[in-house]
Amino acid sequence: MSAETLQVLADVGKGKSTRGVLRVIILALIAGASIASRLFSVILDPWFNFRATKYLVANGFYNFWDWFDDRTWHPLGRVTGGTLYPGLMVTSGAIWHALRALTIPVDIRNVCVLLAPAFSGLTAIAAYLLTNEMTTYNSAGLLAALFMGIAPGYISRSVAGSYDNEAIAIFLLVFTFYLWIKALKQGSMLWGALCALFYGYMVASWGGYAFITCLLPLHAFVLILMGRYSTRLYVSYTTWYALGTLASMQIPFVGFLPVKTSEHMPALGIFGFLQLLAFLDYVRSAIPSRQFQTFLWLFAGGIFVLSLAALVIATSAGVIAPWSGRFYSLWDTGYAKIHIPIIASVSEHQPTAWPAFFFDLNLLIFVFPVGVYLCFQELADEHVFIIVYAVFGSYFAGVMVRLMLTLTPVVCVAGAIAISTILNNYLVAKTPTEEDQQAAEAAEKKGTKSGLKSATKPVVGIYSLWSKSLMVASMAVYLLIFVMHCTWVTSNAYSSPSVVLASRMPDGSQHIIDDYREAYQWLRQNTKEDAKIMSWWDYGYQIGGMADRPTLVDNNTWNNTHIATVGKAMSSREEVSYPIMRQHEVDYVLVVFGGLLGYSGDDINKFLWMVRIAEGIWPDEVSERAFFTPRGEYRVDGEATETMKNSLMYKMSYYNFNNLTLEEAFTSENWIIRIYKVKDLDNVGRDHISAAAFEKGLKKKKATKKRGPRVLRVD
Amino acid sequence: MKTSAVFSALLSLLSLASAASSDKGSSKSTLPSTFKPPQVFKNANLVHVISVEKNYVKENINVVVENIDKKAQDEYYLPFTADQISRLGGVEVKDRKDTIAGPFVAENVEFDPESDTQYLRIRLPKPLAPGAQQTLGISYYILKAYSPLPAAIKQEEQQFLTYTFSAYVPSVYTTSKQKTEVKFPSGNIPDYTKIPGSGDIKEFPQKQGSKLTYGPFDEKPAGAYEPIRVRFEFNRPVTHVARLERDIEVSHWGGNVAFEERYTLYHRGANLSSLFNRVKWQQSQYYQQGATHALKELKFPLRVGSVDPYYTDVIGNVSTSRFRSNKREASLEIKPRYPVFGGWKYPFTIGWNSDAKNFLRKTASGGFVLNVPFLEGPKQNEGVEYEQVEVRVILPEGAENVKYVTSIPTQSISSADVEIHKTFLDTIGRTALVIKARNLVDDFRDRELVVSYDYPLSASLRKPFIVFSSTIAFFVAVWLVGNIELKFASAPVSKK
Repeated sequence: MSAETLQVLADVGKGKSTRGVLRVIILALIAGASIASRLFSVILDPWFNFRATKYLVANGFYNFWDWFDDRTWHPLGRVTGGTLYPGLMVTSGAIWHALRALTIPVDIRNVCVLLAPAFSGLTAIAAYLLTNEMTTYNSAGLLAALFMGIAPGYISRSVAGSYDNEAIAIFLLVFTFYLWIKALKQGSMLWGALCALFYGYMVASWGGYAFITCLLPLHAFVLILMGRYSTRLYVSYTTWYALGTLASMQIPFVGFLPVKTSEHMPALGIFGFLQLLAFLDYVRSAIPSRQFQTFLWLFAGGIFVLSLAALVIATSAGVIAPWSGRFYSLWDTGYAKIHIPIIASVSEHQPTAWPAFFFDLNLLIFVFPVGVYLCFQELADEHVFIIVYAVFGSYFAGVMVRLMLTLTPVVCVAGAIAISTILNNYLVAKTPTEEDQQAAEAAEKKGTKSGLKSATKPVVGIYSLWSKSLMVASMAVYLLIFVMHCTWVTSNAYSSPSVVLASRMPDGSQHIIDDYREAYQWLRQNTKEDAKIMSWWDYGYQIGGMADRPTLVDNNTWNNTHIATVGKAMSSREEVSYPIMRQHEVDYVLVVFGGLLGYSGDDINKFLWMVRIAEGIWPDEVSERAFFTPRGEYRVDGEATETMKNSLMYKMSYYNFNNLTLEEAFTSENWIIRIYKVKDLDNVGRDHISAAAFEKGLKKKKATKKRGPRVLRVD
Repeated sequence: MKTSAVFSALLSLLSLASAASSDKGSSKSTLPSTFKPPQVFKNANLVHVISVEKNYVKENINVVVENIDKKAQDEYYLPFTADQISRLGGVEVKDRKDTIAGPFVAENVEFDPESDTQYLRIRLPKPLAPGAQQTLGISYYILKAYSPLPAAIKQEEQQFLTYTFSAYVPSVYTTSKQKTEVKFPSGNIPDYTKIPGSGDIKEFPQKQGSKLTYGPFDEKPAGAYEPIRVRFEFNRPVTHVARLERDIEVSHWGGNVAFEERYTLYHRGANLSSLFNRVKWQQSQYYQQGATHALKELKFPLRVGSVDPYYTDVIGNVSTSRFRSNKREASLEIKPRYPVFGGWKYPFTIGWNSDAKNFLRKTASGGFVLNVPFLEGPKQNEGVEYEQVEVRVILPEGAENVKYVTSIPTQSISSADVEIHKTFLDTIGRTALVIKARNLVDDFRDRELVVSYDYPLSASLRKPFIVFSSTIAFFVAVWLVGNIELKFASAPVSKK
């Protein structure tokens, strides 16, 4: 290529409008890439959300709002409309209606499947906007968009078919932050109101909205402590808080929580505090400064003590609910295991392992601190936000694997700032001459009027083209490795849906183990429409969605006692389990068994959690210790304990264990799913245990205890 | 009659689809409830072949009919019970001696829906002169014909089916001489009704390998009935498709014909006496080389050139399928998610694409002709029966003057309508030809469906024009909105 064409090309990039067009094209490509990278394998996953969306589309919004679902939590049912975050379903319902209006009648299923990738494209754009507020380099915004688009930490929750609240929530999170920064910078009521609007949308979408609810007041608080109180802060914060809180209270599931629970108190406190500061500001302008000092300390101290006392009293009196258990588990990682085993039993609620940071963020985790450091260098209001966000995000990501998701945006933003600063410094083709530097140094010596030494930046010139190119080249290599890593992680780790397992045949071809869906389809086609299925709660949503059968417990773990009942039925002897199953009208019991295949995520593996949760409610009847050998081992082989061998779960997992009350109804191809049918009473109305005992000639036990009203649960 | 003339030329003429829909009643013409077929014929010689080799019954009646009336006659009646006639399909009647004449018109006669005896009327193309003879070959299929005995068996046991029929052909005419042959899938026929023989044969039936022969019998009066029940081994799935919806979507812009078939499939064989046991299943797969009465696999030999097949069900993609495609074949082999046993149900969907030039041709007059198979179901050794079939040919938006002709027996076609199907970016909706048929079997899987239609250029340009103009309108609207001055201050505020 001749030098002239290069010159022409370089000139093309210089015009302002050309740059704008280029930016738009690059952003569109980034959004496209982030969508494309999420399409490795497409399997719809949280089936509950899909089911709810179908219900919304079929029955309209108001019926959805009032939806009582009697096909879950049998026999209790669930007030689904009032106990979910409707944002996700409403979003896809709205998209579905809009497409229909545009005469594109796609299936609601396709909308659901592609919602997460589509929103990830929007998240990339939101990250671009947010980063652009932080720095004057446009390249930083584009880099942030790119990182946001392909960072595995975010992809893990937004691959195609991963139809969960996080699918839209991360976009809302980043966009709300962008609007907040915008509102804060301009002191604009309009932006504050927009921020509140998106905050309301966020509340409607994800329980993680509390992160915003805590982070924005914290940012405001830090700014105040830094002495940066301004009318801009006052306007933006009060607008956001007043409108945002009202918006959040419109969601039935949230309701009055924003004024009642401790999680929401910081926001309220800062709101009040800002009013005081505004008042003081006014007073200061009205009275002399000496008197004002005294007034300030007395007034501020008094108010602080009063409000703290009010908070403590209100909490202890029960007006304000104390921190919920889930929140406690964020401070004390051991809390959940003891007090709320049901939370601790979910693998994504475990503390994060160190390699996970590298796995999910790769290069970005190294440049993240650099970006935060660069924020310290400038330290405008918006940089403080990044710093605060970085600190809190890091802490929460360390506590729970799942919260890696909330850390990812700030890592992308900070990382982009760092990398773009590096590239901007080293990508300057012009080498400074000696004269330039001397002139600069002379100017520095002369201009001693800027007092602090640390505030002046030393003039450093990079002379060698060699060092520049080396730096740029290594940066490029890192970025390429980052892209490769993201692709690899996405295709290998995050695109394997939980219902399908992939393995390799001897000839290297891919073999798909599809046992879950095989069994669910069998249940759906060949059992009664209202046959109740008992299984551990992990499979509740899947059974409800794929098999379309009522379940006892599901992934919405709202009733711990009910789950414990299932746990008790699974972990007890048949004599205990059978009455429980009869009382709950269970027709089939479904267990997951990985023994044949060596699949580790099976029910025997989760069994201890069932035992623990059941023990939490019935400490007298279920004991975790009894499932361990005297040497403290958890064994399932010949040396398993008697309690273990007699437990229903153990009997169901292994073949032909002489079940008296259950018979095998279906086993999937690789034995991963085993479905048992609960036998009915025999012809003379006896259950099979007493019938077998009679056959053996045993005396009937005196059933004195069984007379009288049965008490199933003792809370 | 006028209609008979129209129908006799069926293959050579394209019948108007709209006319066909108005002809809906013609396959069931109403007669007075006291109707009795006139005794104008005699069956001079008759061979009745009942084939129970597949999971439906195929019956062939080869009969020499003789006009014993004084006038020329052209209506021959065949009686069935009301239950049989609802399961009767694919009736085809030919002249055995004159194969060029093509199939005759056969139709259900409805005269009294309450009556247990219903008639099938066969119209001879030329009235038969008094005393003259004609050899008819009548073939038809009866679906849902068997009942398993025992009704519930173990997973590894053999399945036996029973079928009941009459030793004498059901006829409204006197039959001088007749013989009934029954063909079985194998020689294992543990039970069959024995009746006293005639002539030098002491006892009917005679068994030769997998064939039973009742007769020859001497003259029997009209309506003679001798129940025969046979019980035979049928250790293969009794596959029954209760409903098949087949969509054929033609795209002129894409140059593509898309097929999608939705099956509601049942196994009508013996139920399992105890619940499904995977261990026994895996053992039987190993020891008995997979001989089983469960449905394990379906093979769809598609037309050469079929691409992008998919196989899904309500839950999503089913991963157990194979597709082999080369210059000679395009074979789709699918496995149900689970082996389908008697009484079980397995609904699924398959679909594929094909280049439009394989099926679509432009005629000299500017119209288009689409030639597709009416039915492309699985090809199984044991056969497949279809109770209801709905074929929808979705033509491009604006296609008009739709006519069709098919080589599927008219007796099986219950209705044909032209409807409007609205889908992607449609303004007036696409023209869809919907043909409903009943009681078909996989023997008809390569019968043609020929649809001709006109598709003017203006109609084909409609969609691009609408998309283009609406996009432009959107941009213009955005531009207009962007030009609205929202600020209070008219002077530009300088921003830092």
